[in-house]
Amino acid sequence: MVRFKSRYLLCELCVSERNSLQLLEERVIYHAVRAAVNRAHGDYGSAVCNIGFSVKYVNAHTGVVLLRCRKGHYRLIWSALPFITGIESRGQRVQCFLNCLHVGGTIRTCQKFLVRYSTRQLHRMLLHCTSEAERREVRKAVMSFSLKKRREDGEEEEEEEEEDDGCGAGVDT
Amino acid sequence: MEEPATFERHVYKNASVYHYMKMSLILEDESKRLIAAEFKQLIVSGLRDLYGEIGAAIPFDLLTFDESTKTAILRVYNSGLVKLWSAITLIGSCQNELCAVRVTQVSPFLLALCGNSRETELD
Repeated sequence: MVRFKSRYLLCELCVSERNSLQLLEERVIYHAVRAAVNRAHGDYGSAVCNIGFSVKYVNAHTGVVLLRCRKGHYRLIWSALPFITGIESRGQRVQCFLNCLHVGGTIRTCQKFLVRYSTRQLHRMLLHCTSEAERREVRKAVMSFSLKKRREDGEEEEEEEEEDDGCGAGVDT
Repeated sequence: MEEPATFERHVYKNASVYHYMKMSLILEDESKRLIAAEFKQLIVSGLRDLYGEIGAAIPFDLLTFDESTKTAILRVYNSGLVKLWSAITLIGSCQNELCAVRVTQVSPFLLALCGNSRETELD
């Protein structure tokens, strides 16, 4: 059997203020990417985007975005991603940029990569912990992790939690 | 005793990095004058429409432009030939006026453009 092969671009949306991540929606990202491809690659790029391009997954807590496109011309979309400088959402303009972490052939490999990447980030950031108490705090936060819990916990150890958030969300989906 | 016939096979692989294109611009208003810079601008805007900012950056040179017949010779790298050609074909208007660009000859050799076998008249 023959099937249409796809490429999945796993991206991380970087914003200056984490609160603005709540504004993320699939539709908003879709239009931002379409506009960037149209600017960079013109009518041809737009037409290529029309078939098989979709936003598969958006995590409004961590800013992880999964884009899907046809394998034949994923480079067009890939190369247009750095030209996104901001997104327009609910009348607000948010300055941001997309950081492409991984290009995979299936959602599964992207998910595996995301888990590995998040773990690595967590390990890297644990090194920055100065005191033992802080480390313990982080460990507790990781162990008791859930999306609901996090909002109650407040903003302590934000970075670590955020990264773990991505990890957890990756596993869940 | 006759020697068996030998033959040699020559395979020509294009060694040229450039392609040369000869084309003419056809305007609705025949009397309108156009300079070389405007013609190049027209092609670049055609490229930008079809292939965006990245397409508009394709390097190509306008070698000659004959203002009376509106005929031009372009030099372009092989990698950009297809994009340039398709963009040129889709050019439809020039300074708010209908126009068309007819590509008459394309060759990797500039010398090949000096004559056109389709237009030669035999005695």
